[in-house]
This record gives sequence, C-alpha cells and structure tokens, in this order.
Amino acid sequence: METTRVLIVDDEKDFLDLFMKRMVRRNLDVHAVTSGPEALEYLAANEVDVVVLDVKMPGMDGIETLREIKKRHPHLEVIMLTGHGSVDSGLKGMSLGAYDYVMKPFTIDDLLERIQKARERVDINRGKAR
Amino acid sequence: MQGDQPNTHVPTWLAWVLPLAVPIAAVLAGPWTATVAALAASAAAFSVVFALGRALERARDRAVSIQDQLIQSQKMASIGQLASGIAHEVNTPLMVIGQDVELLEMVLAAGNMPEKMHAEAESCLEGIRRQVDRCGEITHKLLGFARKSDTVAQRIDANALVEDMVMLVEREAKRQGIVMQREYGQVPEVDTDPPLLRQIILNLLNNAAQAVGRDGVVRVSTRNASGRLEIAVQDTGPGIEPEVMDRLFDPFFTTKPPGQGTGLGLSTSLYIANRLGGTITAANAPNGGALFTVRLPLDAAAPAAAKAA
Repeated sequence: METTRVLIVDDEKDFLDLFMKRMVRRNLDVHAVTSGPEALEYLAANEVDVVVLDVKMPGMDGIETLREIKKRHPHLEVIMLTGHGSVDSGLKGMSLGAYDYVMKPFTIDDLLERIQKARERVDINRGKAR
Repeated sequence: MQGDQPNTHVPTWLAWVLPLAVPIAAVLAGPWTATVAALAASAAAFSVVFALGRALERARDRAVSIQDQLIQSQKMASIGQLASGIAHEVNTPLMVIGQDVELLEMVLAAGNMPEKMHAEAESCLEGIRRQVDRCGEITHKLLGFARKSDTVAQRIDANALVEDMVMLVEREAKRQGIVMQREYGQVPEVDTDPPLLRQIILNLLNNAAQAVGRDGVVRVSTRNASGRLEIAVQDTGPGIEPEVMDRLFDPFFTTKPPGQGTGLGLSTSLYIANRLGGTITAANAPNGGALFTVRLPLDAAAPAAAKAA
C-alpha cells in the first residue's frame, strides 16, 4: 500500500512534535501546521489523503477550517481532535462531513487505526472517480 | 417490496373449527382409546394453528411497518428535494448580505463617525452577521439533509463506533449528573458508512441527554436482531407525547425551546438511516422515557440499493 499522506493541524507545538516523532516511523508521510489558514495554504499546494484537525484553535477554529477544507477538497477525509468533548462541535463537525472524532488523550495506535480507515475511504472514493 | 406482503385473509374460524372437529369426529367414530388419541391430535392441531396465526400476525405487523417506512422514506425524499431547492435559493441572498456587512465594516473603519454612533453601528453589523450565520447554518443543514452523495461502505466494529459517540456525550453529560449506561451485545462487524452512522448515533444520544436533564439516565444498547444491527437509545426523560409521535421525524418539527433546536436532527437521522438501508423507530419505553431504535443491515448490499432509490 502507498504511503498515507497526513496533514496535522494543531496550535499546540508540543503535541505536534510528539505526534511527528511517533508517526514518521510508521509509513506515514506527515506534515504539521499550526493554524487553519496554514492548513488551507498547504492543501492548495500539496497532495494529502487525511487531515487530522484540532477543534479548538485560536483565530480560525477547527470547525471553520473543516468547512473550508470540505468545500475545496471534498474527497479528503478529516479526523477531528477534541480536548474536552464538545457535543455541539461534534454534531457540527459530523454534519460538515468530518470522518471521525477522537478525544484527547488518545493512544497513537488508536489514531493510526482511524487514519488508516479514513485512508481506505479516500481510496474507495478515488476508485469510484476513475 | 410487494412480495413481502403476506396474505392476511386466512380465515380465523379455521383456528377454532379444525381442532374441535377432530375429537368430535373421533368420538362419533368409536372407542375411547381413539378419542384420547384424537384429543392429543387436537391439542397438537390447536398449537399448530395458533403458532400459524401468531406468525401471520407478526408478518402482517411487519408488512404494515414496511409500508409505513416506505411511505416515510418517500416523504423524506420529496422533502429533501424541496429543502435543497429552498436552501440553494436562500444561500445566494445570504452570501450577498454577508458580503455587504463586510463592506460596511470596512467603510465604518475608514470613516470618522462619532464614537457612540460608531459603536452602535458596529453592534448592529455584528447582529446582522450573527443572524446571517444562523440562517447559513440552517441552509447548510437542509443541504446536508438533501445530500445525494453516495454512501461509502466500510467494515467497522459497531460497538466501538457507538462507544466513541457515547464517550463524546458522556464528558458533557457527567457535569449534569447524567449517567450513560451501556449494554453492548455480541454484534458482528458491519459494512456501513461510518461517518453517517456516527452522525445518527450522536444525534440520538444528544437528544436523549437533553431530554433527561439533571441526574437522568441514558441507556445505549446494541444487538444482532435476526440479521440486522439494532442500536437502541433509551432515556429516563418525560417520553414522547402521543400527539407528537406522528410528527417526530418531520423536518423543522421540534419540542425544544426556540433557538435550541432546528428540528432537523431526527429528520436528518432518519434520512441517513434510510440511505444506509435502515430505519429508525420511536416509542415510549416501559419506564416512560423515550426509546429510539436504529436498525441497519449487516452487509453492504442494502446501502447500495438504498442509494439507487
């Protein structure tokens, strides 16, 4: 299977560092950015399969970013990360087409599994488009 | 669908006449040993006929509910078309208003209006923006409701998926003393569209948590009910008023206070369930609370069929 290209968007630098360290070893091509606008900029120029997106970010929040991502790249799958389990943002995110919701703290293995499932869906959709 | 219609006109008099006729005939025919045998036979005949009757009744109930669901899903489809039509029409003026607000904000920033008026104008614009956002949210939900995009079937562990949503709701519910109870049964892996199923479950759980209020209980259960995945959400809230029951899944119907619900949650959930080849039913539980049951096919064939509809 091809390498899964992942973009992770989170304003917490420490979390990103940890994430990158753990993920690079696992056949994932991971890139990290710290804000919604940066994410959109990156996606405009690079091919990505799955976005891992923090809900709570200053400025453009995760929901707003999700909305834009889905508008511009409908076949890309987005996994939302949430720190404090907001049902409201969950409902909004799901109706905007988020693939999955993961609550912090989570294990890397768990997230990895979800990323692979999201990737599977991207492949199914690409197969249909062909 | 028509093939599922059982013949419900089996004469019920048969159930009475047949078992009675057998011993009477036996008595008329001769010795008491034969009568005993005939009585035993008649008891057997009784049970066979009654089992048959019960099966027929069940089949008839199922036919009625299949027909109800068919009508419901056709209703949903036409409402979906209407909804998306309205949403598209309303979206354009909304966008224009939104952009005009932005423009006005720029004009306001550049101009030299007296401070008090400036603040007032700013708060007016903020108000307009908020309402435009709100309308946008509604049109978005309407479009989501009518979304015709294909379902994508993936093999998933349904219990794990449900548990994810339970945990999401539990964190908030805990603060109000609401207890989330789980009764996960043995269910095989399911081929279904995971994000769509998550949306349904989260919606039902959220409704239940809102209905029970402080110190309530929400019970979530899963089971394999003769080839279908059954997910039930039951709460200890006030239940569903009988006069509301028929309209529960209608778009824009809500029993929540104004501003707290658009009345699109359940209708969207039902619409999604239909697309997944499944159904949602509502009832009042024996404890008086509401009980919502989602039933989904265990394999991917059904979602594909639903998609074509």
